[in-house]
Amino acid sequence: MKYLFIVLISFGITFSYSASAEIQFSGYGSIIGGKTLGTVDDPLNPGQTRDEILTADFYDVGQYTNDITFKAESIFALQATMDLSSDLRVTAQLVAKGVDDFTPEFDWYYLTYHVNENLTLMAGRRNIPMYYFSEFSEVGYAYPWMRPPSNLYWWQVTQFDGVHAMYSFDLGDYSNTVSFFYGNEYSYDNVEMLYYDKLYGGSARTVNEFWTDITGMNWNLSGGNFDVRFVYFQNDRDRETIQQDGSIDDYTPFSQTFIGFGGTVDIQSFTLLFDWNFVEYDDARGTEFPTYLVSVVYNMDEYQPYISYSKADHERTKVPTKDLEEHYIMSYGVRYNFLPSASFKLQYDHFVDQGHEATGWAYHGDSDTVSMGVDFVF
Amino acid sequence: MSSFMKKVIWLAVTSFFAFSLLTSHQVVAEVAIVVHPSNASSIDQSSIKRLFLGKTKAFSNGRAAILLSLSPSSPLVDEFNKKVMGKSGSQIKAHWSKMIFTGKGTPPQEMASAAEILAAVSTNPDAIGFIDASSVTDAVKVVATF
Repeated sequence: MKYLFIVLISFGITFSYSASAEIQFSGYGSIIGGKTLGTVDDPLNPGQTRDEILTADFYDVGQYTNDITFKAESIFALQATMDLSSDLRVTAQLVAKGVDDFTPEFDWYYLTYHVNENLTLMAGRRNIPMYYFSEFSEVGYAYPWMRPPSNLYWWQVTQFDGVHAMYSFDLGDYSNTVSFFYGNEYSYDNVEMLYYDKLYGGSARTVNEFWTDITGMNWNLSGGNFDVRFVYFQNDRDRETIQQDGSIDDYTPFSQTFIGFGGTVDIQSFTLLFDWNFVEYDDARGTEFPTYLVSVVYNMDEYQPYISYSKADHERTKVPTKDLEEHYIMSYGVRYNFLPSASFKLQYDHFVDQGHEATGWAYHGDSDTVSMGVDFVF
Repeated sequence: MSSFMKKVIWLAVTSFFAFSLLTSHQVVAEVAIVVHPSNASSIDQSSIKRLFLGKTKAFSNGRAAILLSLSPSSPLVDEFNKKVMGKSGSQIKAHWSKMIFTGKGTPPQEMASAAEILAAVSTNPDAIGFIDASSVTDAVKVVATF
């Protein structure tokens, strides 16, 4: 928190003396507590039982166990924007998460340049527009659930340094935005990959995860009552698992492609949210990850009860086997907008691990989890 | 059932209906969507919705729209949200929090009164706002009422 204070002060000093540019602050946050409800046979240590575990945030490995915690998902973010001219804007987001003991980090910093009414360029650090909810997956106030289903939003890389070109145009009654993006992410000391190394009995010093030449596009199509998005991107993958003695494990780099189609549709008092995605590696095994999400929200004034089903699968086409990772989450919850800029949420998650136990692919284990909290924006 | 209980129930039921009647007749303000008199763009409910959600950023004349709203506590904002946008204030705020924190848009500027919206719209060819239809003057052009 001390660091956050220093950063805030320096923001103030830097910008309060700049007469021409006006800086604007806004922010979002979530205070969420939760716990799993039971114990389960440890899939990786047969014969032993352990607490049920729900990984609510894979990237930062924010998990719920039988002990109530507010650290798995609580987050506080401050955004500063400054218009350097009528066409050029600087944006930075300082994000502090419970999983990092609320150590603030600049997770977002980018320039936005409005070339004309239709074309906007962005350069800097942003989230990769993978899934429909990826770019705002941490802005709890922006969606009905406690979190976008974590068994889909499970990747070890979520951000990148890159450039974006967004072209907007209308076709009849529909608004379109087509975005192209390119960038790289060198994720040193990757939290999720080190967690997996330890989970399977490893003792690596660290794991570095590299996603390079991330090249792709989004096509967003919107009407008055719906918003859908198509995504395609590809990138190269490499990894350094560094052992205690400094040696680096062998790893064969490969490329992956990501395609997806998702969005939201309002039908009278209901909102349908969905996302379908397919990830494919060009590795020797022909790895594929088909995943999807379907959710329905009933908008009843300030109450929004919802259900959600998310399913993830892992397949290998070149060495066919069904005995891999597979799981679904059935979630039930309600969002109550008790203030104009704050909502209370209560969610129950039923996670079913359908992975193959004998080969260690059922490593999540089943879990039932209750979480509740408040999302806010300012 | 005692006659006292019957009276209490009768009173409760009639007060409930009386209250429902009163509240349903509470605000029936007509919302007028106003632009500068020189703005000849074609504007209908669909384009108003998309403009006020930041999905479309420009009028059909190609010029970027400047969106004006009233303070969220204004009853007219509720009418606008309900009749024009078909969403609750919280749903619209959730939408804008997605836009703001991904850098994809800026929400409508909040003005203090209908007079301020009239003043802004009558002097800015790219402004669009909404006011109570009874407050409309010749200085602005009404493109739709709801």
